[in-house]
Amino acid sequence: MKSLLEYAGLEPGRLHFSWISSAEGEKFANFATSVVESVTALGPIKRFAKDEVSVGDRGVEL
Amino acid sequence: MEYMRLNKKNLAAFIEELKQKCEVWGPVKEGDQVKFAPVSNVSDVDLEQFKNTTMSPKEIFFPQSEIMLSFKREGEGANIYRDEQSVPSKKAIFGIRPCDARAFRILDMIFKNDQFADNYWLTKRDAVTLVGLGCKEPCSTCFCTSVNSHPFDETGLDVMVTDLGEHYLLRVLTKKGRELLAGSHVLREPSEANIEAYKTVRKNAEDAMTVQFGTDKVNGKTVLELFNEDYWQRISEPCLNCSTCSYVCPTCHCFDIQDEVFREGGQRIRNWESCMSWIFTVHATGHNPRPGKKERVRQRFMHKFKYIPMKRDGEIGCVGCGRCVTMCPVNIDVREVVKQMNS
Amino acid sequence: MNARTTKLREIAKKLLDKQKVDVVIGFKKGTIPLKNTPFFATNSEEADLLLWDGNCIGNLAAYLPKMAGKRAAIVAQGCVSRNVVGLIQEKQVDSNNIYIIGMPCTGMLDPRKIIAAVPGEITEAVEDQLYVTARGKGFEITLNRSDVLNRNCDRCTVRNPVLFDEIASEPKPELKDPVRYEKIRAIEALPPEGRAESIDELLSPCIRCYACRDACPLCYCPECFVDKSSPQWCGKSQDDRDVLSYHLIRAFHTAGRCTECGACEEVCPMGIKIRLISGKVEKDIREIFDGYEAWKDLKTPPPLTVFQRDDPQPFVKE
Repeated sequence: MKSLLEYAGLEPGRLHFSWISSAEGEKFANFATSVVESVTALGPIKRFAKDEVSVGDRGVEL
Repeated sequence: MEYMRLNKKNLAAFIEELKQKCEVWGPVKEGDQVKFAPVSNVSDVDLEQFKNTTMSPKEIFFPQSEIMLSFKREGEGANIYRDEQSVPSKKAIFGIRPCDARAFRILDMIFKNDQFADNYWLTKRDAVTLVGLGCKEPCSTCFCTSVNSHPFDETGLDVMVTDLGEHYLLRVLTKKGRELLAGSHVLREPSEANIEAYKTVRKNAEDAMTVQFGTDKVNGKTVLELFNEDYWQRISEPCLNCSTCSYVCPTCHCFDIQDEVFREGGQRIRNWESCMSWIFTVHATGHNPRPGKKERVRQRFMHKFKYIPMKRDGEIGCVGCGRCVTMCPVNIDVREVVKQMNS
Repeated sequence: MNARTTKLREIAKKLLDKQKVDVVIGFKKGTIPLKNTPFFATNSEEADLLLWDGNCIGNLAAYLPKMAGKRAAIVAQGCVSRNVVGLIQEKQVDSNNIYIIGMPCTGMLDPRKIIAAVPGEITEAVEDQLYVTARGKGFEITLNRSDVLNRNCDRCTVRNPVLFDEIASEPKPELKDPVRYEKIRAIEALPPEGRAESIDELLSPCIRCYACRDACPLCYCPECFVDKSSPQWCGKSQDDRDVLSYHLIRAFHTAGRCTECGACEEVCPMGIKIRLISGKVEKDIREIFDGYEAWKDLKTPPPLTVFQRDDPQPFVKE
C-alpha cells in the first residue's frame, strides 16, 4: 500500500509502518516521535486531503 | 427562411467575428477524445474529419458533477450560498450534430415542464446559441432515421450549417441565430445553385441511411405486454451493469444529489446516476425493486422507447447517435433490442 | 471458420445435448466490427453461434459467481482459466458446477490501435493467424496481428489454460521473458510531483462508469466500497481525489489476485490504461514474493492471504 500510494504521488516519509508489541512502550514512543518529525517536516498534505469538493474538468464548465 | 454563405477560407475570420459577441466553442481534440471546448485557435477545430464528440455534449448544460449550493455554519445559524460561477456567460456552440441538438430539445421538455423548471439546466441552455453541422456522411452506427429524425434535422438548432465543399451554407432557424450572424462582414448571399446543392447534399445523406427498425408496434403494445416479454432475460445476460451507456447517452438525464460535509460547512452536488446501477433504486429498507440486471436493462429501453413517448406526445427518448452502440463494452446493441420490442 | 471455433461448437453441442451442463458461456459475433458479445448458449442450435477469434474481449469468469447454481461450461484461455481457479480458491463458485473448455489463445486485438491506423470508419475487419485487414470507404489496410494486440496480450506468458476439462486445440507456444512494466518503471522513476501528475493525467478522462470493476472477475463483492452509503467511504462526484481513491483502492484489492487479463482496460469506454495502476501492484507482488503469479494452480494461495514468519516486509520500520 505504501508503495502504491507513493507511486500515485504521496511523498515518501508520510506513511510509516512498524510492528510494535503492547509491551514495547519505549519503541512505540520513539517511533511516534520519528513519525511526527518526519510528517511535520513535509508540511500539510495537499494531494489526498479534501476539505471541499472540486469537480474539475468533467464538472461545472460554464 | 434565410440562407447565408461562408467561404471556408473565411472560417477563421467568421469565428473571430463571433468571438466579439460571445464565447465560441467547437469540437476540439483532447488526447483520444473529441469534446466541445472554447476555440482559442481555429486550427484546433477540424470540421472535415469531425464525426462526433466522444461524450455527448449534454455535459455542457448538465455536467457530470455540479455544485448546486454550499452551506456554512456561521455564529448561531447557518447560511446557504449559490455558487457565483453559476451565472453562465453567453456562448455559441459551433458544429453540434443534429442528433445531439434534438436530444437537448427532449431534455428541455424534461427539465422544464408544467410542474418544475430546473434552473441549473435552463440558465446554461438559455445562454447558448447552437450552430449545427448537418451530417453529410453519417456513420454506420448512426440510426437517426429510425427514431423520427434525420441527418439534417433542425430541431433544437438556431443555425444549420451544411458543408458544400468550397463553402458552408448557413440556414438561419431562430431569432437567436439571426442575432448571432447579424453584422457579419464575411457572410454572403448564396446563389440559387448553392441552395440547390444544399438540397442535394441533404437528400443524399438521408438516402444513404436505411431505416433500421420501426417503433410502430412498440407504440401499439401496452406497457405490461412489453414489460413481461421473455426476451429481457436474454438481452440482459451479457450486461455488466456498468453505466457507460447512460453516461455517453445524450438523452439520459438521471441524477443523484449528495451532500458532502467538511467541518463547519459543505456542498450539495448533483452527479449523474444510471439505472444500470443497483444502488440507483435501492430503498432505505434494503429492498430493491429492480434487483437484477434483467430489470435494470429493461428499464433503460422501456424508458427511452415506451415511457418517454407515452408522456411526451410520441417523442422517442433516443436520437440515434449510436454512442452506446460503439461504446458498450459487451456490444448490447440498442438497434437489435428495439427490433425485438417491435416484433 | 477457424479450427478452434469448429472444435468449440462440437464440444458445446456435446455438453448441451448430453445435458452435462445447463449453459455454455462463450462469445458470439457482435453487431459492429472488432467486437464480439458474451453469449450464453443453452441448446445445440445456439451452440452453433459460438465462436473464437481476436475480438473476444473481457473476462468470462466474471459471469460465473452469478450463475446461481446452474451447471456452466466456460470457454477459458490462460487468463480466464486462472480466474476460474481463483474463484474456486476463494469459494465463489462450486467447482462441481463448472466445466472448463480450455482455449489456447493467441491474444486479443486492441480496436483502438486498429482504428488509429486507418483513415476512416471501419466497416469490416477480418483476421488470420498473422494479419488483420480493416476495410472501410476508400481504404483497405492490412496490419500485423502482433502490432495491434492488447497491451496485456502482447506480453502474456500464460496463453494456454492452466486448468481444463477438455481443450479446443493443441497448446500455443508461450512467450519467454517478455519486456514488462516499461511505463510503470518510467513513472516510478519520477519525483513525487511527477508521479502525481502522471497518475492524474491518466485518470482525467474517467467518467466513473465502473465498467473496469464490473468486468473484473476479482470484483465480486455484493456491495462495492464506492457504493456504500452508510458510512460513505468515497465521494461520488468527479472530484479528482475521489476518482483517484476509487482506482487506488480497487487496485489494492487486486493485490496478488490479478491475472493481468486486461479486461479492465478492454472495457474502458474512455480508453484509460488502468493497468498502469493495478499493474504496479502486480509488479510489486511479483518482485516481493519471488516471481509469484496469481492462480496458476488450485493449491497455491495468493501471498497476501497467508502469513509466513519470513514474509518479506520492506515497508516496515524496525
